[in-house]
Amino acid sequence: MQFDVQTIVQLSAFAGGGVAMGLGAIGAAIGEGYTAAQANLAVSRNPKISGDIFKNMLVGQAVAESASIFALVIAILLLFLDAPGATPLKAAALFGSGLSMGFGAIGSGIGSGFPGGQCCLGISRQPAIGSRLTTNMLIGSAVCQTPAIFSMVVALMLIFMDFSNSPLFPTWAALIGAGMSTGLAAIGSGYGGGLAAGVSCDGIARNPESVANVTTTMLVGQAVAQTPSIFGLLVSFILLFKTFPESQALSASMALLAAGLCTGLGGIGPGIGNGMAAEGAVKWVARNTSRSGDLMRTMLVGQAVSQSTAIYAMVISLVLIFVL
Amino acid sequence: MGELGLVHQLIIPVFGYTITLNLEVIVMTWIVITFLIIFGMSAARKKDIVPQPLQVLGEIFVEQFYKLTEDALDREKARKYGPLVCALFMFLLLSNWLGIIPHLEEPTKDLNTPLSLGLMGFVIAHYAGIKSKGFKNYAKEYFQPIFFMMPLNLIGELAKIISISFRLFGNIMGGSIIILVVSYLSYSVILPPFLNGFFGLFVGTIQAFVFTMLTVVYISVQVK
Repeated sequence: MQFDVQTIVQLSAFAGGGVAMGLGAIGAAIGEGYTAAQANLAVSRNPKISGDIFKNMLVGQAVAESASIFALVIAILLLFLDAPGATPLKAAALFGSGLSMGFGAIGSGIGSGFPGGQCCLGISRQPAIGSRLTTNMLIGSAVCQTPAIFSMVVALMLIFMDFSNSPLFPTWAALIGAGMSTGLAAIGSGYGGGLAAGVSCDGIARNPESVANVTTTMLVGQAVAQTPSIFGLLVSFILLFKTFPESQALSASMALLAAGLCTGLGGIGPGIGNGMAAEGAVKWVARNTSRSGDLMRTMLVGQAVSQSTAIYAMVISLVLIFVL
Repeated sequence: MGELGLVHQLIIPVFGYTITLNLEVIVMTWIVITFLIIFGMSAARKKDIVPQPLQVLGEIFVEQFYKLTEDALDREKARKYGPLVCALFMFLLLSNWLGIIPHLEEPTKDLNTPLSLGLMGFVIAHYAGIKSKGFKNYAKEYFQPIFFMMPLNLIGELAKIISISFRLFGNIMGGSIIILVVSYLSYSVILPPFLNGFFGLFVGTIQAFVFTMLTVVYISVQVK
C-alpha cells in the first residue's frame, strides 16, 4: 500500500482528534460525578433547600465540563480543518496537538469537580451565604482550568503554526515532545489546584468571616500548584520555537522526545503535592484566620521543596535539548 | 491567521551589537502608564473629608493592598512596600484589561514585561532578605540542609522568576491566542465579547492579583 503525504497528514489528524477527545473525556466525567455525589449528600442533609443545591450542582458541573469542551473543540478542528501546508512534519504536529489537549484535560476536569461538590455541601451547611460560596467556587474552578488552557494553547499553536521550513528530522520529535510536555504536566497541576479550591468552599461555609483570607490563600496556592504545568509550557515553547539542525541520527530525535516526556511526567507528582500543601493551608486559614500570614508562608516554603523534583525534571529536559 | 506570533520590531545596531525594541509593547506600556498617572493625579487633586468618586476608588485600592501587605509582612514593612504592591497591581490590572479595546494589545502578552517585573520582584525580595537578616545568615540558607544542595537551592530560586513571569505571560498570551483563533473560526459572530470578558477581565484580574500576592509572599519568605 502506498501512502502519499496528504494521506499521512489526514491519518494523524484523525488519530490526534481521537486521542484528544478520548483522553479528554476522562477527567471531566470523574469531576462531575464527584460533584453529583456531594450534592446527594447535601440534599440528604438539608432537603429544604434541595432546589438551590440542585442548581448549584448543575453550575459546578458545567464549569467542570469546560476542560472536556476544550478537548472537543480541538478534536473537531483536527477532524474538519484543512490545515495549511501538508508536509510530513504537519502530521507530527497534528498528532502532538491531540496528545497535548487529551492529557491536558484530565487533571483540570477532575480538579474542578472538587469545588463544585464542596460548594453544594457548604450550601447545605450555610444556606444564607449561598451566593458567596458560588462566587468562590466559580473563581476556584476557573483557575483550575489554567493548565487545560495552556494545553489548548499548545494544541492550537501546533495546528496553526507553519513548520514547513524546518527539517523533518529531528523536528518531528520536538513537536510531539512539545505536545506531551504541556499535556502530561497539566494532569498534576489541574488536580492539585482542584484540591485547594474544594477545601476553600468548605472553609468559607464553616467560617464565613474568613472569606477574604481563604480566597487569597487559595489563589496563591493554586498559582504555585500550577508551576509544574508552567515548566511544561516553557519546555514546549522551547521545542516549538528553537530551530534544530538537521540530523538523521535517531538519538537526536529521541533526546527531544525524551525532553518533552521528562518535564511532562516529572510535573505530575509536584502538581498534586503542591495542591495538597495548598489544601492544608487553605483549610487551616479558614479555622485560624488571624495566622493566615504564617500559614501562607509555611505553605509556600513547603511547596517550593515539593516542587524541586519538577525543577530537576526541567533541568534534565533543558540538558537534553541544549547539550546533547 | 498569519499574525500568530508576529511582532513589530525596531532593530538598532550599536557597536556590533543589536538592540531590539518591540515597538507595540513600548507604546502600549506608555498608554497604561499615562492612564495611571492621570488617574492618580485626578484622584489625589482635591482631597477632602467628603471624597469625590475617584478619590474613593483610589482609597479602596490603597487600603486593600496595605491590609494585604500588612497581613503578609508587618506594620513597619507594609509602610515601605505597600506603595510598590499597590502600584504593581494597578499597572498589571490595566495592562491585562487593555486587550479588550480593539487595536490595543496587552503589554503583558510580550514575555519581556512579565519577565522584567518578575526580576524586579526577585531583586527586591532578596534585597529585603539581606537587609533584615544580614548577608551571612542570608547566604547560609543556601547551604541548608547540607552544603552540596547549594546549586539546587540556587536553581530553585531562579525557577521562581521563571514560574512567576511565565504564569502571567502564559495566561494572557494563551487567552489572546484562543480569542484570535476562535474569532477567526466563528467569523467573529457572538463569541468574541464573551471570550474577551472571560480572558481579558476575569483571568486578567485574577492573574494581576496572583502576581502581586506572589511578589509580596516572596518578600515575606525572605524577610522572616
